[in-house]
Amino acid sequence: MLRRSKAVTATSRPVEHGPPPATRAVESLVNLRELTVGYEGVVALEDVSLDLRRGEFLGVVGPSGSGKTTLLRAIMGQADRFAGELTCLPPEGRKALRFGYVPQVGTIDWNFPITVEQVVLLGRWRESGRLPWPRRQDRALVGQVLERLGIGHLGGRHIRALSGGEQQRTFLARALIGDPDLLLLDEPTSGVDIKTRHDIMHLLGELNRAGVGIILTTHELNGVAAHLRRLVCVADRTVIADGTPAEVFTPEILRRTYGAEMMVIRRGNAIYVLEHPDGEDLVTEPEIVPAGSAEADGSRWAP
Amino acid sequence: MGSLAEPFQFEFMVRAMIAAGLVGLLTGLVGVYIVLRHLAYIGHGLSHAVFGGAVVSFVTGINFYVGATVWGVFAAFLINIAGRNRRIGGDAAIGIITTAAFAMGVALISRRATFTRDFEAALFGEILGITGDDLYVIGGVMALVAAVVFVWWKPLLFTTFDVGVARSYGVPVEWVEALFSLVLAATVIVSLQVLGVTLIAAALVIPPVTVRLLTDSFNRLIILSTLLGGLTGFAGVYFSWFVDVSSGATVVLLQAAVFALVLAWSSLQAQTRGGRPYAERLANAGRQLIGGELADASGNPRRA
Repeated sequence: MLRRSKAVTATSRPVEHGPPPATRAVESLVNLRELTVGYEGVVALEDVSLDLRRGEFLGVVGPSGSGKTTLLRAIMGQADRFAGELTCLPPEGRKALRFGYVPQVGTIDWNFPITVEQVVLLGRWRESGRLPWPRRQDRALVGQVLERLGIGHLGGRHIRALSGGEQQRTFLARALIGDPDLLLLDEPTSGVDIKTRHDIMHLLGELNRAGVGIILTTHELNGVAAHLRRLVCVADRTVIADGTPAEVFTPEILRRTYGAEMMVIRRGNAIYVLEHPDGEDLVTEPEIVPAGSAEADGSRWAP
Repeated sequence: MGSLAEPFQFEFMVRAMIAAGLVGLLTGLVGVYIVLRHLAYIGHGLSHAVFGGAVVSFVTGINFYVGATVWGVFAAFLINIAGRNRRIGGDAAIGIITTAAFAMGVALISRRATFTRDFEAALFGEILGITGDDLYVIGGVMALVAAVVFVWWKPLLFTTFDVGVARSYGVPVEWVEALFSLVLAATVIVSLQVLGVTLIAAALVIPPVTVRLLTDSFNRLIILSTLLGGLTGFAGVYFSWFVDVSSGATVVLLQAAVFALVLAWSSLQAQTRGGRPYAERLANAGRQLIGGELADASGNPRRA
């Protein structure tokens, strides 16, 4: 079932990051209702309605410039709101929702003189006191987070001297150290090899199972089709589809999204999107992937 | 040895060396943030903008620091606001606002022929005219900037490293940027009399870039760049006594010489970092060129 983004039933109120209203849907974490946002008077995302539940793992796909990053920024309240409502509903005991944002690696200044540990400490800039040097407990916490992500031995290393996967884990650690309610990752799997991509998705799946809500944007259609239960398709500055991979990855929606014909192959629970249906050199034998395996089963990463 | 201590026998030279040392500390410290923000041009631009304020101060007869501060802070805020407009960009905003402010100063001076001397002093600095009050002002600004950097260390580091993400982590980016604009304007203003409009940019950029060649640590960069700025400021004025060259120019030339040495040394280090020393690799290249055998130190032939 494909539902337009407007078809949102959760209640919301026009207050950003306010205390949880008594009438809210229990599971709702972030609610966008007919939201239009942009920058400097220019609309970048229009008429978007979306309800994100607690502990959900959502993938956002769409062409470059379609508004994926703006969607993340809108949720964090960093885009100018022109119309509609954005409601962030913090859990009990917190005044505001805590976000952990992982930017695109392409936006990082890799020559900046900073180590892995210093990057991660920035995620606790407010809690770790005013003194320039870190406190013992903060360094211990950084060590724990780095260990959790498998890069505990890299704390003293300069960020330029890391592999693609280690770089992603470093910025993921910065996001996690603030104990976020929602992780927002902007194309965490771009520019990394297939093994690193698998490792990152596996790691995110583990975090999600531990209760962390996640939204990630990506161009890896087959990756998110295999790993996620819910996808949102952004095109022409709005959300055009929201549902399971099977609901979102149809030839018609993909044509509207990317402006090109795409082939969708289904085998069991597995879905594969091929870019050029007329190409004779395409591998079209779905048997090459263990269909129905844990990797292809959307429930693997389910919360 | 007596001649080496000669500069210390004159009070104006002692004041000049202290002033240049303090300004060096200040520019070395603030310069780290300038270089890491890729704003090397802003020091050059802002010093020209402040020049406009200095001229207005002369013309209207108000205190230099008051006029230059109002003008400099106003220019810094205008740059900040215009630079945020994506269709203008930071570099173009600096180019427009600072040159316009400088042009206003030039226009005012051209109407008053008697300002020629002041004009030159503002352009190239007049460090030997530093008074005791000037030292208090420079020292006060230095202490204030050091306190700001110390207390706002983390927000400043975060916004310098990644301003877009800092906002999502709750850093009050607008406040931090405004504070940095104030710090920068104050730095340029107190440096104007020591280094002059034309040389401030170099003092802001050379020490951090030099130290950056030696360290990947932000904390070490801050400390060493500040110390290098202070040391070269003090030593530059000291040496200028003997070489009879403009003090500001001597400071900058000394910094440039240190930069050249460090660049040469770090390049050599980079060559050897691959495992084999540079000299060995050069010898290997030579062997390959002549394609034969070379004798080792004992005179025994060995294969290349």
